[in-house]
Amino acid sequence: MAVIDVDRVSKAFQIPSVHRQTVREHLLGVFEPRRFQRLQVLDEVSFEVRQGEALGIMGRNGSGKSTLLKLLCGVYMPDSGRVTVSAPITPVLELGVGWNPELDAIDNVLLIGSVMGLSLADIRRSMDEILAFAELERFANLKLKHYSSGMSERLGYAVAFKAVRDVLVLDEIFAVGDAGFKARCETKYRELRASGHTAIIVSHDPRVVATFCDRALLLDGGRILFEGTPQEISQRYVSTLTAAAVQPQSAASTAS
Amino acid sequence: MTAIAAPLDVSSRGRLRSIRPGLIWTLVRTDFKARYHGTLGGFLWALLKPMCMFIVLMGVFSFLFASNPTYKLDLIVGLFLWDFFAEGTKSGLTALHARGYLLTKASVPSWILVVTSISNALITLAVFTVVMTVFLAGAGHMPSPSALGAFACYCLALTAIVVGFSLAASVLFLRYRDLNQVWEVVLQAGFFIAPIIYPLDILPERFHFYLYVWPPTPVIEFSRSVLVAGVMPTARGHAYLAMDAAACLLVGIAIFRQLSPRAAEFV
Repeated sequence: MAVIDVDRVSKAFQIPSVHRQTVREHLLGVFEPRRFQRLQVLDEVSFEVRQGEALGIMGRNGSGKSTLLKLLCGVYMPDSGRVTVSAPITPVLELGVGWNPELDAIDNVLLIGSVMGLSLADIRRSMDEILAFAELERFANLKLKHYSSGMSERLGYAVAFKAVRDVLVLDEIFAVGDAGFKARCETKYRELRASGHTAIIVSHDPRVVATFCDRALLLDGGRILFEGTPQEISQRYVSTLTAAAVQPQSAASTAS
Repeated sequence: MTAIAAPLDVSSRGRLRSIRPGLIWTLVRTDFKARYHGTLGGFLWALLKPMCMFIVLMGVFSFLFASNPTYKLDLIVGLFLWDFFAEGTKSGLTALHARGYLLTKASVPSWILVVTSISNALITLAVFTVVMTVFLAGAGHMPSPSALGAFACYCLALTAIVVGFSLAASVLFLRYRDLNQVWEVVLQAGFFIAPIIYPLDILPERFHFYLYVWPPTPVIEFSRSVLVAGVMPTARGHAYLAMDAAACLLVGIAIFRQLSPRAAEFV
């Protein structure tokens, strides 16, 4: 049974020749019309994710992975097509930058936890566990502006693992923290999967996709290039990277 | 693990209609904490600004309007309502930008981020209402329950105006990042357009209509009328204020509904 159905979804951004972000710039530039370049980030992408499955998404930078995740989580709206979701999603997107620096860890956990859909009672009950997972018990009352990027990322994963409801969406999982923290994340992930949670993982790391996913997609230029087993897609991803690295070199040697 | 929910089309932000009390409470509490350093002292410090303004203006202008025996009472009512309007609209305007770190993380109901951003201004208004009532009672003008009831309705109308403005301005601010500076200038002029430091009747009557177009004016004038003069405004006046508030709110909601689905792309 499909819990997420992505049906011919397209998304484009209009990139202006000149960025105007203020009333003043718009008024001063009223006689200088801008040109817009259309950047097609996703082009008629269709796939589905079944209940209890772990789907890996691979692709080079700019292939549309992060935009696709934001569409799945309802952060972005598609230009055309449909995203149908039949289960609550817990997104873990761009962690470490989503905090209020003027609040301490406890208040930030309450804030992000309630945004992710947890009740306040649940968050308060799990607070010690969250702080222990991130190894930040001693810094619970320190404002986030004094945290290092690693500390805030660890806190983000600790909240997300606690907040997960049905579908877990992870952007670059296991790229955070030291070896001990990564091992704890992997154990937690396996526990969640064993209890039947669905997962969508975006990663550049072939090992992560091959180890933690049941199926994978390779995105390129906003389209699904291949769909297959994680091992297959990991190999194809590495091949596309190698081809991309070889192409400019061969072009340069032809020119010379 | 939760049970599978009914299929939902996330392409249409339908789920953003849900109200989440825990999220609202957390946003109000953390906003208060971040702004006032989580202490009562920090909050009292924030109250000092309008209080000082009141003392200075009262010291200077009560001489100019010495013939008006209720000038000080009119001033305190006008000033505190203005403070709510100015602070509420300023917070509301930057609400989505300031909380952009939440908007891009999950499918969070963005209207909640805007509406809760004026909570601090509302708390200040509630405290000032108590201060104002004590001040009025001390001056022998203890408001009657019906006057306080009417005043609560005017505050509600002003809140609707502030919310309507905030909804529209918060999404526009993501596209026009100097709107806060433009609004500062409008507020500066608006402080003198609204009859706060001067009584409305010093201006020729033919100009009154234009002053009433500026939303804080009817709220301030009606509040003074019930709290200080003890006179209930006309039904026509009330109808005008109700329509004004409803129009601001509806226009704000319409602009917000149009622009907010893509707000995360502009953060």
